[in-house]
Amino acid sequence: MPDRSAPRAGAAAAGGKAVSVLGGAEPWLEMRGITKVYPNGTRALENVDLVVAKGEIHGLLGENGAGKSTLMKILSGILPLTAGRIRLGGRDISLRTTHDALAHGIGMVHQHFSLVPTFTALDNILLGRGALLSSPNRAQARARVQRLMDETGLYAPLDVPVEQLPVGTQQRIEILKTLDREVDLLILDEPTAVLTPQETDQLFQVLRALAARGTTIILITHKLQEILALTHAVTVLRNGRVVGTRLTAGATAADLARMMVGAERLPDVKQRQPHAAAQPVLRVAGITVKDDSGQDAVKNVSFEIYTGEIFAIAGVTGNGQTELVEALTGLRPIASGRAYLLGESINGKSPRQLYRMGLAHVPEDRHRLGMVAQLSVLENSILGIHHERRFRRRLPGTLHWGKVRRHARYLVERFQVLTPSLSTPMRSLSGGNQQKLVVGRELSKSPSLVVAGQPTRGLDVAASAAIRDLLMDIRNEGQAVLLVSADLDETLALADRVAVMYEGEILAVLERDQFDRERIGLLMGGVRDGSAAG
Amino acid sequence: MLWASLILGALHAMVPLTITATGEILSERGGVVNIGLEGILLISAFTAVIGAEMGGPLAGLLAGVLTGALLGLIHGVIAVFFRGDQTVSGVGLNILALGVVAIGIVDRWGSAGFHRVERAFRVPSLSTPLGPMSPMVIVAVLLAAFTWYLLKYTNLGLKIQACGENPAAADAAGVRVEQVRLFGAVYAGALTGLAGAYLSIDWLATITENLPAGRGFIALATVVFSRLNPWLAVAGGLIFGFFDSLGLIASTSQQLTRIVPYQFIQMMPYVVTLLVVAGVIGRFRAPAASGQPYRRE
Amino acid sequence: MDPRPVEQWELETAQRQERRRQLRGTLGSFAEIAVALVIGLGVGAVVMRVAGYDWLLAYEGLVMGSFGDLWAVADTLASATPLILTGLVFGLSARAGYFNIGAQGQMVIGALAAVAVGAHISGPPVVAVTVTFLAAGVAGAIWALPPALLKATRGVHEVISTIMFNWIAHYTALYLVFNLLNDPRSAERSLRVVPEARLGALIPGADMTAAIFVAAGVALGIYWLLWHSPWGYEMRIAGLNPSALRYAGANPLWSVNLTFILAGLAAGIAGASQVIGRPPTYALYGDLSNLGDLGFDGIAVALIGRNHPIGIILAAVFIGALGAGARMMQIMANVPLDMVRIVHGTVIIALAAPEAWSLLGKLLGLNRRRGQSAAAAPAKALPQ
Repeated sequence: MPDRSAPRAGAAAAGGKAVSVLGGAEPWLEMRGITKVYPNGTRALENVDLVVAKGEIHGLLGENGAGKSTLMKILSGILPLTAGRIRLGGRDISLRTTHDALAHGIGMVHQHFSLVPTFTALDNILLGRGALLSSPNRAQARARVQRLMDETGLYAPLDVPVEQLPVGTQQRIEILKTLDREVDLLILDEPTAVLTPQETDQLFQVLRALAARGTTIILITHKLQEILALTHAVTVLRNGRVVGTRLTAGATAADLARMMVGAERLPDVKQRQPHAAAQPVLRVAGITVKDDSGQDAVKNVSFEIYTGEIFAIAGVTGNGQTELVEALTGLRPIASGRAYLLGESINGKSPRQLYRMGLAHVPEDRHRLGMVAQLSVLENSILGIHHERRFRRRLPGTLHWGKVRRHARYLVERFQVLTPSLSTPMRSLSGGNQQKLVVGRELSKSPSLVVAGQPTRGLDVAASAAIRDLLMDIRNEGQAVLLVSADLDETLALADRVAVMYEGEILAVLERDQFDRERIGLLMGGVRDGSAAG
Repeated sequence: MLWASLILGALHAMVPLTITATGEILSERGGVVNIGLEGILLISAFTAVIGAEMGGPLAGLLAGVLTGALLGLIHGVIAVFFRGDQTVSGVGLNILALGVVAIGIVDRWGSAGFHRVERAFRVPSLSTPLGPMSPMVIVAVLLAAFTWYLLKYTNLGLKIQACGENPAAADAAGVRVEQVRLFGAVYAGALTGLAGAYLSIDWLATITENLPAGRGFIALATVVFSRLNPWLAVAGGLIFGFFDSLGLIASTSQQLTRIVPYQFIQMMPYVVTLLVVAGVIGRFRAPAASGQPYRRE
Repeated sequence: MDPRPVEQWELETAQRQERRRQLRGTLGSFAEIAVALVIGLGVGAVVMRVAGYDWLLAYEGLVMGSFGDLWAVADTLASATPLILTGLVFGLSARAGYFNIGAQGQMVIGALAAVAVGAHISGPPVVAVTVTFLAAGVAGAIWALPPALLKATRGVHEVISTIMFNWIAHYTALYLVFNLLNDPRSAERSLRVVPEARLGALIPGADMTAAIFVAAGVALGIYWLLWHSPWGYEMRIAGLNPSALRYAGANPLWSVNLTFILAGLAAGIAGASQVIGRPPTYALYGDLSNLGDLGFDGIAVALIGRNHPIGIILAAVFIGALGAGARMMQIMANVPLDMVRIVHGTVIIALAAPEAWSLLGKLLGLNRRRGQSAAAAPAKALPQ
């Protein structure tokens, strides 16, 4: 994303009138002393205060797990609060259901869209309104939505099943749906996670226009640049508590980062060590992979990965990276073209065959693929390697649990997986520990190539750092890593080479000395080198 | 005339399948699957006879509907509020029904396992060119039409479909997911109860320990065949019903049983069901959240 | 959230809490089952009372008839034998993620095979018995395979397909018993099994035969398979997380078919046990009364036994006791045999509501107390 350290919005905006509470405006939304404790005892929020003025764009900043989404889910009626008060316009209100929230004019645009995939945009907007037995008034709604689209500049086709539309369009529909309810307070949860930098700019323009018209906006994000570019004021959360609230004007990225993380700098990645002459490990020659609906998700892609390097694929999620990884790990067929691991073709091979050839896979969707949540740490430690001779007894076909136990204990110690015992079910572990076990298990195969998809997604700072260090260790020891990550900072910190993927193609492969955020951002948005002024 | 009785037979055999399937279609659209339809058919058939013997055929039908609705409510509560396994609950219903009705028959009429319903308590039939036809045939088609309209053209229908595809989205849009799903379960139960009453106080005019003879499951197959479209449930009911009636007629026909042993004729509805279900399914897509409880923290 | 290394005492506390939680979990399961059983028996009592029977006398007869003396215990175990096997059919399939309610049909086919083979085989008893059991098992497995294949290739819901196969098996059996396998000396049943292939009563005067050991053996075999072999490991994963199974390198198709084959095997053996293990006739009756509703009872057994082979053995003994004692119930209090079916059904429905227990707990304020103690504990890492 282009560097926007000079803030656009500030307390002095809107013709000199104070916009945010800290700048002197009247408080309109007050959340006081909000505490949220889940039934299993987890304390997600501890005595949180949030105060916002009408027409303000207020940022809610924090890392994964800080409690931002939880707080907003309480505000939008999805979750009940455990303690605290909410006041709107000076009156105490109770928000027990989404109905209540909508009745008070509070609407939320979720990170994972709340759209019914088989419905059209129009039907999604109509859902939940109107008398039970009467027909939905589509003509009236259509006119209304069209007017809304003209006013806000958010255009989307109304009669196509939503699941067939690109993610950016779906998000626009999600926003239209919420605006159609005539909300006074619009909450957006990480809206730019699925947008290109250019689409992000468009969205921000729309939000500014809405705020100017009097709609209050709360923006949840972990991206510092967005806070600086858009908001009047920001509240920072860490571990379920408020670290502080401040005006955005005059703040720097470093200030915010300090509040968010609690340290001066983000932890460094391990030292990169030079390596001996490189041999090719993976060779991909013009492969095409189809997605679930039969379209080409990966189009004629070629690249090579060598020993001792981290080769990263950057790009906004949904441009074919997932399908590419699935094809290279045996979970999806390669439609055309060939790929070779250590010289041997991998076309048509099953995951088990690939593991035997030296492949390890840390899956992007750890819960669905990489582990079985209901089984214990012990049982998960051999997922994928359960047929190997080293876990067998002399009696053929029997598992030797003692040997598995030794293996699991080794993984737990070496990779610092915090678990009360080996028989603890995986789902009781925190995300970071789950991922450490998965990564450790894959590394214990002594692989030649580790394919890691979004390895630090959803993990806290310490766990992410640990995983990144592990990946760097593999690289330094001379193995190869194929990293797919939507986190550009992580990618640029770890990678030796970066390939940018857009709509199934690799637009460019950059060496480390060619790394340039702006150029990569443009590539991610599909702007090829040489076209459009950077 | 053989043709007339065949067509009439098919129409009559269609009724319980179509009515049950129609109700279950609405429920499944909303996300609740009830495997226990067979059990509901049986128990409702039983209570319908009691109701009819006390107050006439209409009372019997009403008794059946209410019984079915109550059983549907229990299943719905377990599925929606207790988040129990829907298949397990359904299976339990089936087993329970077998026991209750078996004992009930003996207890009430003294005869072991079988009781014939007197003409006085049966639903009167209309005379048509094909012969005496039950008014329930028309009711079945009307119910299918009504359910189709409800699902496709009303706000409630939109809500039901949303609960079946993405309950989280429905919840965010302000739809009360639990209530909608519960409504679906009760609706399916009520219609199944009506079908059960039809079995005992109309078409088959008896109550035995195993009256539905698998029709509850054939109705489930009809639901699958219909791709959750009530009109196709009518078509499916006719197809299965045709073979059902063919089996009944053929087993009494001397000529036919000399060629094909009667056991194989009786097997036909089940074989046909199997073939249809196996042949049709390639592209069937159930609502995404079908059978899954909706949990919010 | 682990920004600092964990203290040793924190780890020990967590370990102790973990052990306590596991204990509560196991006790909780037992409690759930106990509550369900009490509800079932309670409803049975109510129904009997309403129908005018003396439920106390009836239950007394139940206990006497099932555990009162050696013959009663033998009867109980004899009743439990086929239930262990049909319970395994449902339980094993459920562990792998499928609702296989085709035990009845698979059992019928097994019984037919047992008659067909057992009526014509010759040789030493051990061989005759083994071959008959094997033939029945294989027949059951073959009958179980089509629903599995239909599910795997065409996505057909196995509940529908297995029920259809049950009915087809039923009518096929009716035909065969009265035609091909008919006994010319007694038209109402099939041929009798030759003496070499018969299992003798272990306790004179009671129904129990060596079949109980076969059933227990099959159960233990399946236990070993599921928890001590890589294929069973895969089957369990298939039931919990099929996507992870593909990632782990196994072919889910393989798992389905293997599961159904084993289930059919168990059902077939159950069918055989009801023919060659049934003195004094050793034949299949024309009304298929040897087989009754054993297939469906197996579902109750599996659910009570939580789909675990050991649990299934215990549950089968319990339900077998209900069946064996029902006869005494009838004698002592004049209650019809079908009363037990009401108890079965209610117990299953009660078992189908896992959250009913926690809901009950909430109503009684137990959760509130637990919540307060959680407030005192330091913040723990958020489970994701």
